[in-house]
Amino acid sequence: MRMSFQEELDRLQANLHEEADLVLRSLRGALNALQQRDIELADEVIAFDDEVDDRYLAIGQGIEQLLARQTPVAVDLRLVLAVLHINLGLERMADLCVTISKLTKLTVELEHDTTLVEAFEEMGSRAEEMIRVAMTSFAHRDLAGAESLVDLDELIDRANRRVVNHVLELGTDPEIREWGLRMIIVSRCLERVGDHAVDIGEQTAYLVTGEFREFTDASHPEDA
Amino acid sequence: MAYVSVNLAERAHELPPRGRREVVFDVDELGVSYSENKALQGVSLEIYRNFVTAFIGPSGCGKSTFIRCFNRMNDLIPSANVEGKILYHGEDLYGSHVDPVEVRKLIGMVFQKPNPFPKSIYDNVAFGPRVLGMDGSLDDRVEKALRQAALWDEVKDRLKAGALSLSGGQQQRLCIARCLAVEPEVLLMDEPASALDPIATTRIEDLMHELKRDYTIIVVTHNMQQAARVADMTAFFTVTRGDEGQRTGILVEYDATSKIFTQPSDKRTEDYVTGRFG
Amino acid sequence: MSADEHRLRSGRPRGRWSGRVFYAFLLLSLAIGFATLGALLVQVVAEGYKWVDAVLFLEPPSANPKIAGAEPAILATIYLGVLLLAFTIPLGLGTAIYLEEYADRNRWYNRLLEVNIQNLAAVPSIVYGILGLAFLVRGLGLGRVLLAGAMILTLLVLPTVIIAAREAIRGVPDSIRQGAYALGATKWQVVWRQVLPAATPGIATGSILALSRGLGETAPLLLVGALTYVAFNPTPLGEFTALPVQIFQWVARPQDEFRVLAAAGIIVLLGILLTLNAFAIWLRNRYQRRW
Repeated sequence: MRMSFQEELDRLQANLHEEADLVLRSLRGALNALQQRDIELADEVIAFDDEVDDRYLAIGQGIEQLLARQTPVAVDLRLVLAVLHINLGLERMADLCVTISKLTKLTVELEHDTTLVEAFEEMGSRAEEMIRVAMTSFAHRDLAGAESLVDLDELIDRANRRVVNHVLELGTDPEIREWGLRMIIVSRCLERVGDHAVDIGEQTAYLVTGEFREFTDASHPEDA
Repeated sequence: MAYVSVNLAERAHELPPRGRREVVFDVDELGVSYSENKALQGVSLEIYRNFVTAFIGPSGCGKSTFIRCFNRMNDLIPSANVEGKILYHGEDLYGSHVDPVEVRKLIGMVFQKPNPFPKSIYDNVAFGPRVLGMDGSLDDRVEKALRQAALWDEVKDRLKAGALSLSGGQQQRLCIARCLAVEPEVLLMDEPASALDPIATTRIEDLMHELKRDYTIIVVTHNMQQAARVADMTAFFTVTRGDEGQRTGILVEYDATSKIFTQPSDKRTEDYVTGRFG
Repeated sequence: MSADEHRLRSGRPRGRWSGRVFYAFLLLSLAIGFATLGALLVQVVAEGYKWVDAVLFLEPPSANPKIAGAEPAILATIYLGVLLLAFTIPLGLGTAIYLEEYADRNRWYNRLLEVNIQNLAAVPSIVYGILGLAFLVRGLGLGRVLLAGAMILTLLVLPTVIIAAREAIRGVPDSIRQGAYALGATKWQVVWRQVLPAATPGIATGSILALSRGLGETAPLLLVGALTYVAFNPTPLGEFTALPVQIFQWVARPQDEFRVLAAAGIIVLLGILLTLNAFAIWLRNRYQRRW
């Protein structure tokens, strides 16, 4: 029953997962460019954002069409709204990758600290893992998987705080201080990717339970 | 990124571009009056092959009158007068040499209230081929039509049973099978699901989706959401009042359904689909 | 408390007595009608049942009541019935189909036709008798024959058959016709293959009722020449009598036994008519369509 409607829903989700794959490639590219100080790779990542934007617009149109023509209710409605939010989050993540690449280009000539660069690789891998977990939990409607993202995010948050402390101890050389400041922004970008992944988890929880709640609240950390 | 948005818009509407659509009906300034009352006026549009086209609008806007022009059923009403033109594959449907009986073989109709004949299921579906003198195996034709109408599995063991023993939804699918048995090109459906419960309605809508692969379908519906779900193109009609208070139907907007329901060009259309009409 | 509540609590609703009086009056009317009819029937049957035997059916009438039978009369009634059906059904059905399916109501001659049919049903049967005498027996030169009798009975019951057939045809919903037209059927195909088959139960019932009315008529037959004493079996173009006439003749005889014979004849006639009517009612109930 309502085969064409079901096909449209499936297609929408398939597009979303493709978008997530593109975001992962973007992130991997940005991390590698950062590690290897590769300007060309950084430029590729920046150009690649167009593809993500394409998907983002297409999915947005798809959602609009689905809502106008099929008037989904109940679980179908929650699914469409979840796709809407996740779509936004993925596009933001891709923009963050672009920012990282731009910063890579800006700092390529500057002196750098290898420890920090390695730390970013670890943070980046964690972020990649979070995106995968978030999308898989969404695909399987896995509430527990979605909730596990909170703990993973905590690790990135701690790593972010350590980066800040490390930069403060970098020394007085102006070049390395400039590099350090820029890298704080890179760290912040990776931390934001983690936050967006948690948002995806919250959407999965909404889809499954019908309740919208934040997993953690930044203004009330003691409740976490 | 403007060019991206436009291309995506076309893709989102998912219809072949105008150049690649085949025109089945070309309606030009069509009007219908009953005695002195002008029920419909100045309608011009094209119906495309293998599309589902919906006519929507408030009651009294002439959409049922309009759809009955396509198979010359208005000929049966003595006081009805049709002016303007309908071209069917380039031929004038109301030309003097055209036989209405032939027209109705090619352009079939399903009505609002299911109207199976008081005969057996088999005889209902076989009626058309019999009166038209179609050759070949009658049994095969009946089976094929019932399969296409997604009714075969439910009735194959009781073809001789009375048609009136079927449920409402089954009766309507029987009426569709009856039409399909004469191998038409076009199916006209005048509010086919309005007398049916929601599940039977969904089955009819799914059926329309399947049938449009082989047929061109025009459907009149007072249920906007149904038009949104099934139709590729939608035409919105409304009622205008003349100087002496007479009500005449006119065509307001005709476009891809996705456009009508997301960004209609005419304010009257928007008022209607958002439910703010009247 | 209000008057309504008072009535509700006391169990004495408004209009209780007037309702009961009305109901009693209805029952009384019914009783009078049935009682009278019942009395008549009982009297006739009691008087004549002994003489409903083979002699009645197989012997011609005679001056001697003991060997008198009504064979010619019974045969003639049967022949009249068959001819009546053969004439009225095509004529009546044809007229009804024309009026319902083909005629344009706005034309003056069609409206005239409709009004006349309603009126003809009310004309007394003796008028038909005079008509038959003037036009068929004398005018056409048919003479006083069975065929003339059948023809005049046809005219008598034709309005009834037309009206019944029209009702039956009108009872076929227009949606059936629309459905048939939409499949590409011609007007004739729609009428012959959908409308008439669907209207058949109504038409059959109407025809049988008309038939039973026609068979019970005496006056027109007398005028057209049903003789009161016929000792030979009838032929279509020969002289004839009919059961009602035969009964009438027997009653007029002085001997008491003929009155008994007449009662026996009445039983046979009633039997035929009641059977026909019962059959019509059974037909109607069996094939009644719920649209």
